[in-house]
This record gives sequence, structure tokens and C-alpha cells, in this order.
Amino acid sequence: MKEYLLLIRENIDNYGKMTPEEMQQDIANHMKWVEQLIENGNFKGGNPLMPDGKHIKGKSKIVTDGPYIETKEGISGYYFLLAESLEAVTEIAKGCPSLAMGGTIELREVMQMPE
Amino acid sequence: MSQKGVENLTAHLFRENSGKMVAVLLRHYGVTHLDTIMDVVQDAFEAALLKWRFSGLPENPSAWLMKVAKNKAFNAIQRENKSTTFLEEHFTSNSNYSIYENFSDFEGDELSDSQLRLLFLCCHPKLSPQNQIISTLYILCGFGIPEIANALLMKEEAAKKALSRSKNLFKESGNLLLKDNFHPSPDQIDMVNTITYLMFNEGYKTTRSPQSIDHDLCFEAIRLTKLILNLNDENKSESQALLALMFFNLSRFESRFDEKEIPLTLEEQNRDKWNNIFIEEGFSYLKESTSSEKVTRYHVEACIASLHAAAPSFTETPWPQIAALYSTLENISAPNPLIELNRIIAQSYFLPFNLIIEKLDSIYSDNDERLQFLLSTSKGDIYKRNKKYKLAAAAFQQALNVANSPTDFRFVQKKIEECMKAD
Repeated sequence: MKEYLLLIRENIDNYGKMTPEEMQQDIANHMKWVEQLIENGNFKGGNPLMPDGKHIKGKSKIVTDGPYIETKEGISGYYFLLAESLEAVTEIAKGCPSLAMGGTIELREVMQMPE
Repeated sequence: MSQKGVENLTAHLFRENSGKMVAVLLRHYGVTHLDTIMDVVQDAFEAALLKWRFSGLPENPSAWLMKVAKNKAFNAIQRENKSTTFLEEHFTSNSNYSIYENFSDFEGDELSDSQLRLLFLCCHPKLSPQNQIISTLYILCGFGIPEIANALLMKEEAAKKALSRSKNLFKESGNLLLKDNFHPSPDQIDMVNTITYLMFNEGYKTTRSPQSIDHDLCFEAIRLTKLILNLNDENKSESQALLALMFFNLSRFESRFDEKEIPLTLEEQNRDKWNNIFIEEGFSYLKESTSSEKVTRYHVEACIASLHAAAPSFTETPWPQIAALYSTLENISAPNPLIELNRIIAQSYFLPFNLIIEKLDSIYSDNDERLQFLLSTSKGDIYKRNKKYKLAAAAFQQALNVANSPTDFRFVQKKIEECMKAD
């Protein structure tokens, strides 16, 4: 099994427009998805990220609140997944409920360093 | 990954907690902070959404949400009040109300008290019944604007506007939420009962497809009526009768539609599908409600509903008794063609049919399309029962002209087909 980093990028503002019932449904969808990953042995770990952060750029080290000014779009969380190949993990990632909310997913294989 | 999985996420947990959190926070901070508190509660849900979907549920989700909302409210309102000393004054004057000490105790009297105060605020006498329902559903019951608009058959924009006007009125209306003693008058209780009654009817009526949130509306109406129940002895029997009525009606909820989502008449419903637990609940409240001398419209309506619930089959329905109860209802209510219509329908099962048609024709329907619809379908049904299929089909055809929902439309079309087949 290889290890992959899955980054979820989404517009946090979208959640402000959801009703309590819809938000609860979204949580349920995510939990079901993660439970499925665990059951299939694809889950290694993951964490949500706080919506606010800092963005530091270049030699001049200019600090801003984020790369995007107009929206609260950003990385909302990450998972480490286990899968046989990039193709296999891509299929798995298609099940991520954030996609239905208009989110974007980035997948990267974690390079295994020799001991 | 946490120990608690998705199966522990109680249905409607967010929606139910929304109203409770708003009620408790408003009780503490006062209605001038209504918008802030609604935002804070929404923020708490967002925080839960971002965290729980990775980490699973916390041990006590309701307490977790309340704690987050409490912290956010404290910070937000402190920011708002930076220039004033409001907070400190407020805390010292409310020292008996220990919002900061124990939030895990999120049930019990204090919670009911907060919710009751908020309910009475939402049912502000200056608002129309429709707007009282909108405010109650949004602020106290945690429904979203799209859900409310759908339930009340109105545009989202209109619901939003009505809500913002109501909120402004609440903010001006002073400190009902902060008063030490909260004793609503019998008239106020009476009005709130009317609102829960209307809310229930909104959820119960069959004019739209059964897959919306109707069921939840009915349950919320019952929950709120139960909150009012013990407020004072004078109104108790009235609330009990209302609950009896709600439970009798709720017992038929699942059998009101066929598999094509066409509404079924009482005669067509499969009585085996009626929910016996709700019927028993109805009888138990009805019995309690008769311990007082007072007879309200809810008592009479609950009695009528109980006779239907107790009849083993449609043919065994005690129509003369039901007709007499409708007459009683006419005597104690303002003139209402709907009650009259229902009385005539009950009479149609034991009085000569020409007389019944005459009585129906004498009801003045003015420009009320809903009433015209009900009159025409009732006439159609009475003709059909008396095997006058051509006249029945014609009456149903008239109903079709004023049908204003897809379910009404399908219902009448089915009736016309039945008439044509039988003729």
C-alpha cells in the first residue's frame, strides 16, 4: 500500500447558507465516508484545519490572511489515505462528500524516505 | 478516529439544539442581541461541521455545541459592548442565573423556561398568525428559510422579509426574556395555542406532496404545546384538548396518501395503518382535558377526532353524534363556513340527499377558491355515494377548475375516473 495526502479545499462561506438540518446531513455524510474508509483499510489519519491562517510570500515575507481576498476559500482539512495506486485512491477520493458542496480535492503521493 | 460513529448522530440534533441554544442565550443576553445570537449558533454548527466530520462525535454533542456557542456569544457580545458597561451590570443583576457555571445541565426547568419565553416572544400579538409561525419555526424550532418557505407555500424572499420585520419588532419589544417572573396571561396562552394549532395544521394538510417536512412541523407543534401545558391551570384543559386533537390526527398521518401520493379520504384509508400509540395518547389527553368544566373548540374537535379514531370501520362511524358535535362547534365559534360544511358532510350520511345538496348550495363561498374546491369535492362525493355519477363527475370537474396544488389535482382526477368507470 502507498500513502497519499488528500487536501480538501472549499469555500467555508457556503456553510453559512446551510440550514441546521443540512449541516447535520453533511456531517453524517462525512462520517459515513470515513467509516467506510476505515472498514476498507484506506484510512490512516486526518484532521480538520482552523478556517483562519496566515499566508507568507517570497523573500519580502509579506504576511496576509490568505491567498484569496474575496472568499473564505481555503484548505479545510486533510486526510492520509492508503491505496494501491494513484488511480485507486482517485476513485476513493471521488466519494468525498466535500465535492458535492463544490469543494476541490488534491491528491499527492507521500514520498517514502529510506530509513 | 473517535469512538462514537455516525449512528450516534441523533435525527434533527442540530435543528433541535438550535432553538434550545438560541432560547438559553437570548434569555441571558436579551433580545437586542437576537441577530448576533442567531449568527453565533450558526457558527457553532459550522465549527461542529468542520471538526466532527474528521473526528467523529464528541461524548455529548448537545453540550459541545452549547459550550462553543456560549463562548462565541460571550466574545461577540463583549466586542459589541466594548464601549458600554452593559455586560458587567448585567452579570451582577443576573447573578442567580448561572449561565457560565454549568452548561452541561442543558435540560430541565431552566431550558423549558427559556424556550417558553422565546415562544411567547415569537407569538408577538402585533404579528399576523402567519408571521408568528414563521418566527417560531425559524428562531425557536431551527428551521431554515427554504424549509419554512416550502412548508408555508411561500417564496423564500417573502419569508426572509417577514422574518426581518418581525425581528425588528422583537428588538423593540423590551425585556420579556429577561424579566425575573414570567407569567403570561390566559389570553396570551390562548393565542400561542392557536399558533401551535395552525402550525400543526400546516404540517398535516395534504395539499402538497407528503415528502416535505410536514411531519416535523406536526411534531414541533406537539412539542411546543407540551411546553405550554403546565403554565397555568386556567388554560391547562385547553392545551390538553389541543394535544388530544393533534395526536388523533397524527395517528392517521401515514395513511393519508396512497402509493401514488394521492390523498385518501377517511373512507379509503386503511385503518390498520392508523397508529395505535398516538390514538391512545390522544385518549389519555382527552380524558385529562375533561377534568375541567371549560369546553373549547379544541375539546369539541378532539371529541370528533376521537369518534373517528374509535370507529372500527368507516361504516360504523357515529355520524349523528359527529354532526351534533359540529353544531356545538358552530355555537361556540365565530361563523365559519368550513365548520358548517363539515357538519353538512356528517349529516349527509343520515339525512335525505336532496336536502344536503340544498344546504351545500346555500353556503356562500364568495371568492374563496379553497372553500369552492371543498364544496365541489363534497358535492361530488355525495352525488357519487348516491350513484348519480354524471352529476358527481360534473361537480368534480368544477373542483378541478379551482384546484391549486398538484395533489388536489391528482385527487380530483382520480375521483372523475372513478365516476366514469362506475357510470
